[in-house]
Amino acid sequence: MYINITEPTQTISIKATKVWRISNTIGHTAALLLIGALMICSDRFDWYDWIGIVLYILGVLFIVSSIFSIFIEPIYLQRTWRYQVDHEFVQLKFGKVQQQHILIPMAKVEYVRTEQGPIMRRYDLYDLEIGTTTSSHKIPAIPANVAKTLKAEIATFAKIRDKDPKEGELGA
Amino acid sequence: MTHFAKRYHPAYIIVEIVSTAKGQFGFYILLFLLKANSTAGWVIWGRYALLAATAVSVLSIFAKWLFNRYELSNETILFREGMFVKKQKTVSWDRIHSHRSNTTFIHRWFGLTSLTMETGTSGENAQFEFPVITQGEKVRILSYLEQKQNRDESKDGIKPERTVHFQATRKDLIKASFTSLSFLAIFPLLSAIYFNLADFFSIEESAESAWHYLLDHVWILIVLFLAAMILSIFIAFVKTYMKYGNYVISDDQERIYIDKGIGNEVSYSISKNKVQAVRVEQSIVKRMLGLVSIKLISAGSFEGEKEEISSLYPFMPKREAYDMLHTILPHYPIKEEMERFPLKVLWLKLFQPYYLTIAAVVGLWIFKREWIWIAGIAFGVSILLRILDYWFTSYTRHNQTVQIRKGGWLNETFITHRDRIQQVTVKHDWLDRKFGVATIMFSNRANPSHESLLFGVSKEEAGIFYEWYHKKSVSN
Repeated sequence: MYINITEPTQTISIKATKVWRISNTIGHTAALLLIGALMICSDRFDWYDWIGIVLYILGVLFIVSSIFSIFIEPIYLQRTWRYQVDHEFVQLKFGKVQQQHILIPMAKVEYVRTEQGPIMRRYDLYDLEIGTTTSSHKIPAIPANVAKTLKAEIATFAKIRDKDPKEGELGA
Repeated sequence: MTHFAKRYHPAYIIVEIVSTAKGQFGFYILLFLLKANSTAGWVIWGRYALLAATAVSVLSIFAKWLFNRYELSNETILFREGMFVKKQKTVSWDRIHSHRSNTTFIHRWFGLTSLTMETGTSGENAQFEFPVITQGEKVRILSYLEQKQNRDESKDGIKPERTVHFQATRKDLIKASFTSLSFLAIFPLLSAIYFNLADFFSIEESAESAWHYLLDHVWILIVLFLAAMILSIFIAFVKTYMKYGNYVISDDQERIYIDKGIGNEVSYSISKNKVQAVRVEQSIVKRMLGLVSIKLISAGSFEGEKEEISSLYPFMPKREAYDMLHTILPHYPIKEEMERFPLKVLWLKLFQPYYLTIAAVVGLWIFKREWIWIAGIAFGVSILLRILDYWFTSYTRHNQTVQIRKGGWLNETFITHRDRIQQVTVKHDWLDRKFGVATIMFSNRANPSHESLLFGVSKEEAGIFYEWYHKKSVSN
């Protein structure tokens, strides 16, 4: 542990790796096909030279990035994702090369919702999105039953906290 | 106690028509005066379109006046709008964070004013506006607001006394008009006028010959230049005087009040416990003169607004400003002495990838290889900016508040309270870990929300900061 922070304990589903692999494969394939099509067009219709050069650079970058995001990223992202929800805070932690710790007080949670795409439906997983007054955060790929319990829990905690101190009466 | 739905004052029609006229004035000048003799198709059609647009907007102003009403009750304000599509908006007095009123020249002729209520949200219904109401009506509306917001805390119902903390004197105004450098504005203004005229008349040639004449007689040029300077200084002073004249900052138990302006009067009031953070800004000129501008950040106030009314007087001597802030908002103690980061952070900053330089090299290599030296300049500027950035960044945290300072050209100190922070993020990448540092981020409510990012905090402090925020409810 690099920084002295009590880390969250809950992990996300092991199947997340598969889901991300599939969706990243689809996304990158589509992008590469598009770039390929543009390259053919540029060749066929004599577009400016620089368009071809830029497309080549983009293509190479996309191939590199697809190797990274299909074969490497999903594994370590799944391994490093941690979260924890108690009645005061939501804690998130993820990343290996760049690690992020995020701390959201329940009192600032505005909404919570679950989301499921077609690939996730196959594996019975949900994304849980937590929205605050200033931004929103996603806990990815958690099993359906956990997601539902968490959603209900967060909703209750956030509501209970809301009735407590009115904004502005504490401190400032 | 409910009241009948009220319309705005009939003068609403006049005020709105005048503002429409102002907006369309330029088109009328263009189509009916400058192009008076033109028979070009677009001019002819443009005239009809313009007349039609004017008619439509005048009609819609009448309709708006007829159909827009509001109702005040003890708990809420209710707005009813719309002729065909009826719309109702309800806002609870509790949700009003701040309010401001703007009295333009026209408002004043009729003894009227406008009032805008700001809520803590962003988006379409973030603000509720009473565009034209009488002064008496404004007092009545505000009495509801004050009643509602006072009831929670004090029940005696006696209106608390206002204390005046600052009044702009003539000396302040002269200082302000020089500091804002607005006297330089005459040059772009003159050139804009010149080019606009040049579009319509062929003054290019006569201007060129005049220019040659002037070059031959340098002293005329100097005299003209001086005259222009004096004129612009005078204009700048008048402008500053109109904008910041009668500047008064006062407060009572619960609220802060800011009034300003001559002719076009603006007043602003915010509940003290709705202040989300305080920002102190100093441009280079202000730093040389020892002046600061203090801005109160609230959830409703729109950042970067043209009329920055939520700032306390923007040209106040530093010491005076800090003392005043301390009296008004004792929860936000600004500390002058802050810790700069150790030198290793500068090295780390210099190690970060130079995206702009790389982009410049690549772009120039492809398109303009002989200009490749520009990338060198970009590189030099990046390094300079990073050094300045390091030099002016500092951080401190005491008790319940955290304070960060950034920026070379525009130095900015941001201070907020732990309870006002909406969330925190601590992050670090591989290189950061080698240097033993991390980046901390925290966000505050504002419109749009305010994100503070501080790079190069030591890993110990980053951990303590995280736990400081985490332990929040335990220590209370």
